[in-house]
Parts: sequence; structure tokens; C-alpha cells
Amino acid sequence: MNFTYSEDQLTYRDTVAALLSCEVTADSIRARWTSAQGIDANLTQQLADMGLNALLVPESCGGLGLSELDFILLAQECGRVALPEPLVENAMAATAMLSEVASSDLAAANQCQDTLKQIATGNASVACGHWINPYVNMADTSHWLLLPHGDEVHLVSTQTVDLIAQRSSDPSRRISKVNWQPSRGTKIAGGQQGAELWRSALNRGALGVAAQLIGLAESILRRAVVFTTDREQFGRPVGANQAVKHLLADCAVSLEFAKPVIARAAYAVANSPTRADWAVSHAKVAASYAALLTVRHGMQVHGAMGYTWECDLQIWMKRCWAIDKTWGDVGFHKNRIHEWLLNPNALMGAEHTFDKSGSPSDESNSQQGAG
Amino acid sequence: MKLDFSPKDELFRQEIASWLASNLCGEFDVIRGRGGPGDQHMFIDERKAWEQKLYQGGWTCIGWPPEYGGRDASIEEQVIFNEEYARAQGPGRAGHIGETLVGPTLIAFGNQDQKDRYLPEILRGEAFWCQGYSEPGAGSDLANVKTGAQFDDATQQWFISGQKVWTSLARESDYCFVIARTDAKSVGHHGLGFFLVPIDQTGVTIRPIEQLTGTSEFNEVFFDDAQCSVEDIVGEPGDGWKVAMGLLGFERGISTLGQQMLFQNELDEIITLAKTNGSAKNPQIRQRIAEAHIGLRIMRFNSMRVLSSEGADGSLQKESMIYKLYWSSWHRNLGKLAMDVMGAESEVLKGGPYQLNRLQSMYLFSRADTIYGGTNQIQRNLIAERALGMPREPRG
Repeated sequence: MNFTYSEDQLTYRDTVAALLSCEVTADSIRARWTSAQGIDANLTQQLADMGLNALLVPESCGGLGLSELDFILLAQECGRVALPEPLVENAMAATAMLSEVASSDLAAANQCQDTLKQIATGNASVACGHWINPYVNMADTSHWLLLPHGDEVHLVSTQTVDLIAQRSSDPSRRISKVNWQPSRGTKIAGGQQGAELWRSALNRGALGVAAQLIGLAESILRRAVVFTTDREQFGRPVGANQAVKHLLADCAVSLEFAKPVIARAAYAVANSPTRADWAVSHAKVAASYAALLTVRHGMQVHGAMGYTWECDLQIWMKRCWAIDKTWGDVGFHKNRIHEWLLNPNALMGAEHTFDKSGSPSDESNSQQGAG
Repeated sequence: MKLDFSPKDELFRQEIASWLASNLCGEFDVIRGRGGPGDQHMFIDERKAWEQKLYQGGWTCIGWPPEYGGRDASIEEQVIFNEEYARAQGPGRAGHIGETLVGPTLIAFGNQDQKDRYLPEILRGEAFWCQGYSEPGAGSDLANVKTGAQFDDATQQWFISGQKVWTSLARESDYCFVIARTDAKSVGHHGLGFFLVPIDQTGVTIRPIEQLTGTSEFNEVFFDDAQCSVEDIVGEPGDGWKVAMGLLGFERGISTLGQQMLFQNELDEIITLAKTNGSAKNPQIRQRIAEAHIGLRIMRFNSMRVLSSEGADGSLQKESMIYKLYWSSWHRNLGKLAMDVMGAESEVLKGGPYQLNRLQSMYLFSRADTIYGGTNQIQRNLIAERALGMPREPRG
């Protein structure tokens, strides 16, 4: 039993964090809000050069062959700077889904291997239009889309679909509805295999959101601490008041307690993906709770300033509010936990907390969950 | 204890309901349901015209004493008025600040001349007011205002200089009531004056503040030797704090009833949506809707209890101190419920550049509920120190 990260994992995280903190600032994010594509092409290439797009791609396809446990550390850093580029969604859900097909005995394995090699070099990108999300973020900047037709998985060129752009309440997000026609040529998986692919994509997507939420919220908490240290009322910093500092202490506690839950979920996804539903749902619920609490208290201690467009806090807050509802909202995930807990075959008790099987009652856990 | 309406009350209900049915239509159709929180700056001309319409029907300032043009309406009648007004989707009252804050304050603290000059135009829906309390350095610490007022003997004018902030509807108002320091050397509650300042003059500059919602209901108001006549200070120089606090007492009184009816409309909209989009099948959502309903009822009963035993001078009891904390937390949660009921659609805007629907706008606006008008932290201090009599937190 060891819940710590290796030195390599932490070093890689620090390298990525250093790049992100230089390249992604509140000003550069606001500049993206009014730009045509909403992303920074140079940064996208830099991230690809560091291997981030293909972190979960097997080495045989030009990827780094790392695991979800490595990725959640990076996802937290992406959240910390409120990265508008869809790195986490694309790499955690879409690209990993392609990798699964590429390593399978499916006929489309070769095609997926080729696509993955292009993704690894930054020459292509793929986004995932999962059935649980009505909208795809930054679909227009991706070359390929993974789209559901029943249980079938289709790999579709973005040029062949209709993207109906919507405006997001988070100006950093460019979401759209996808209108498209499935065809035999675009289908890469179906039946039970397709259902399993969508299920593991959902878990990875939700895990990616959970990790980003922690990073986003830690940024908000840090800003709140700085603000309440600087702002004076009654002749002293407002942060000196217990009523204020207790709010922020509660945020710190809930964020720290969410982190090992996310690590546990990442471990389950990496090592026993078919049994990870309950762990991922727990992670998403814990991270959402902690992040939304931090948004609430973070804004509260900013006073009226936090309610202005000018204050950069909104960049982080609006991201939390928006992505909290993606990859299954809190109701969906709580219901998945209920289902698992109330399953008659559930293996309960302390001895099963870290049971090798990851979780009890695997097969009966339907993919659709509360859907 | 008497918890039902009398036959006379029910007649009153019919009177207002039928007046609204035959008057809130035609040219006023566009403002039905508009002008609420997050929307207060919209349709302002139409809503000002609506105030005059209300006056013609005898429906402005109904709680004021008859000598100032009111009906001296009983608590029950005011409850009924607010219920029917909300049921008819009456627009947010453009005259709200004048009717519920300035009027009662002048009646309690103003001199005859001020009452004669200001009350009739508030009554007629012809003059609109905004509040000049907060400053960049005086938010929670309101007594720390730095805006100064200097008296000039030659012109018999006060000259006001400084900055106010978070001023709602400043651009739509004719007057601003301002607390400013009449004694430059004073600190805290002492040495303040309460001024009635005309907005339309060269010494007053207004700059809108863009909010999370992308709209600007709030403003910064800059006073640069703004003029205020010697007749327009309420009370004596030095009485400002007493008058300012008296005004805040009125804020927690009758005006809460109209607010609760707005809340009821919002909750109804959420319930309708939950039924339509299927989220009402989710047990978690059902529970939270029930909790929201319970909370709203609690507020309503508490308001009625407080209002029934209100002092003759408008002074409220300790129970009124709990109100801001309760409603703001309740409403903030209602916003979250609305977004959870909307689900993934909560992210999607109606249009550009930042066009929110009613529930989205309510959600964002209600994030500020626990901040403006005294933060939850300040409210808890007040409850602990004033209502419970606990030791004061060290200040300064």
C-alpha cells in the first residue's frame, strides 16, 4: 500500500506546471475569449511536443505509455491555470479510447494505430462526443471525433459533420452539438465491445474532470488567501477574522480529502477498468463538492469584487460550474454509488476497501448507471 | 394569533387583482416578469411609466400614512398586494428604493420641508433614488466612509467629494442618498451626515461596473465637489449614522414580502422545468425541491411574525436580524438547484455576447446575495453580538 507519487511522476508534473504557468495567464485566457478559435496554436504544439496528447498511448504507437495515475497529476495542473485547450478531455477520454481499439483484435485496430501516431506527433487530434455529454468542447479544432450510435463507436472526420455552435457560460469553452450520419465506413467498434469502450471513456472523462476541478479550486483558494490578506476592513486584513478564515480552512480540508479519492479512482481505472465505476463516481462527487464549496467561499471572501467581470476569479469559477455538469453530473454519479452499494452481491466491509478486485459486483454494474 | 384573511382583506385582494388584470397589459405587456434581480436595469423607461400607472390607480406607497398620500395599508393588505402583484407577474419596482427606503426614512427623520418636496414625487412615480453607502474602503466596515462634505457659507451649499461603489441603478436615478463625513477629523460612526444629492450635475460622474452576468446594474459613483443644498441634509451634521441605520431597518421590513413572491415565481419555474425535462424523477432533485419549498415557507411565516409585532416607529425586533442570513443562503441554494435541474443545459447561453436565461441570470445574481447588504459573516457577527449579546470581535 503506497499512496505517494514517484519522483519521476512529480518531476514530470513540475515541468508541465512550469510551462503552463508561463504560457497560460488570465490575460492570455481573456484574449482567447475574443479570438476566432479560442485556443493558442503554439501552446497546443508545445503540449504535443512534450508528449502530453499521447501520454496514455502505447509506446508502439509513438506514445509515452503512461497511466491514468500519471495523468491526473497533470490534469490538476491544467485546472490550476484554467487551461482552455481541451488537452485533458481529448487525451484522457478520446485518445485513450482510440488506444484501447488499437490494442484490441478489432478490425479497426490498424487504422487507430495510424491515427494515434499522428496524434503523438501533434499532426492530428481527436475529441470525444460521449453520449453522456450533449455538447463537445472545441470540436472544431479536432481533426477526428469519436461519436456514439447506440453502443457503436464511430471515428468520424470533423469535416464531414455539422457542428452547431453554442455559447457557453464559460467564455473559455467553445461547445457545439454534432449533427452527423453514421456509416459502415466510420464504425470502429460495436456491441459489447462498443459499450465497454463508452463505459471506460466515461470513467476516464469523469476522472479527468475531477482532477481538473481540484486544480481549479486550489487556484481559487490561493487567490482567496492573497485577497483576504491584502484587503483591509476595520483596520486589519479581512482574513484575520475567524468568520473568513474558517471558510477557507473548510475548503482546504475538502480539497485535500478529495485528492486520495482521485488517486484511488485513477488506480482502479488503470488496473481494473471494468470495475472502476464506483471509484470514479466517488472521485467525481468528492471533487465536485470540494470545488463548488471553494468556488462559493472563494467568491464570498472576495466580497463584491468577486462578482465583477473585471475580477479574474470568474475564469476559474465559471470553468468549475461548467465542467461540473460534464461527464455525468453529481446526481448521475451519486446514483451509480447507490446502485453499487445496494447491489445484493456487493462485497462490503473494511477488508474490501483495497480488495484486489477493485470493487465488488462488477458485471451487474450496468454501463448506463443512472442514465 | 389570527392566521387567516378577513372578508375585508379578500375584497382588497379582488380589488388589486382586477386592477392589475386590466392595467398590466397592452403597452406594459413587455415588462411582465421583467426587472427582477439580475434584470433590474432592463426596460427602465417602461417600468418608470408603470410606476406612474400604479400611482394613478392608488397603488404606490400603500403602506405610507394617508397624510403623505398612502393608504395606511395593514400588514395583511400589504401581504395581499405583494402576492397579487407577483401572481400577475408585475415587473420589478423601479420605485422600490424611494418607496420602501427613502420614504419611510424621511417620514421618520426628515423635516417638513423635505417631506413636502420629496415624498409627493416618490408617490407619483416621478423621482427615482439610489443608495450611496459603500465605498472602496468601506464595505463591511461601513463606518469607514471617507467621502467628505464641506459646507460653504457663501453659497449655503454642501460640497461633496469622494467615491461610492456598488450603487445599483445609479444611471437610472434622479437622486442618491449619501453618507459623507461632515467633520473631516472624525472617525467611525461620528461626524457623518445623510445627504439627498441630485444626480444630474457636473460634480457627479457614474461609471458602470460589469458583473459576472455580463450586465451592469451596479456602478461606481464619483463625487467631485458635487453640490447639495443646505436644506438637503437629513437631521443634523453628525446624525448621519443614526439615519443610515434607521434606513437599513426599513430594508428588513415590508419589502421582504415582495421579494419572497419573486422567489416563489422562481421556484415555480424550477418545478415546471424539472417536470418537463424529467429531472423531477431524480429523488435527489425531488428532495431539494421540497427543501426549497420548506425554506420559503419558513421565511414567509417568519416575516409575517416579525411584521405583526412591528413597533409603531417601524423599528424591528431582534428576529429581523436573522432574515438576511436566511434568505441569502436559501436563495443562493435555489440558484444551485436551478442549475442542477437544468443539468448540462445550464452551461448553454441563449445567445451572444452573454445572454442568460432567467434561471441562469438568477443563479449568477444569487452568488452575490450572501455578499451585498452585509455579508453572511457580518450578519453572523450581528446575530452573535447584538441578538445574543456575545462579546464583540476586536475591531481596529
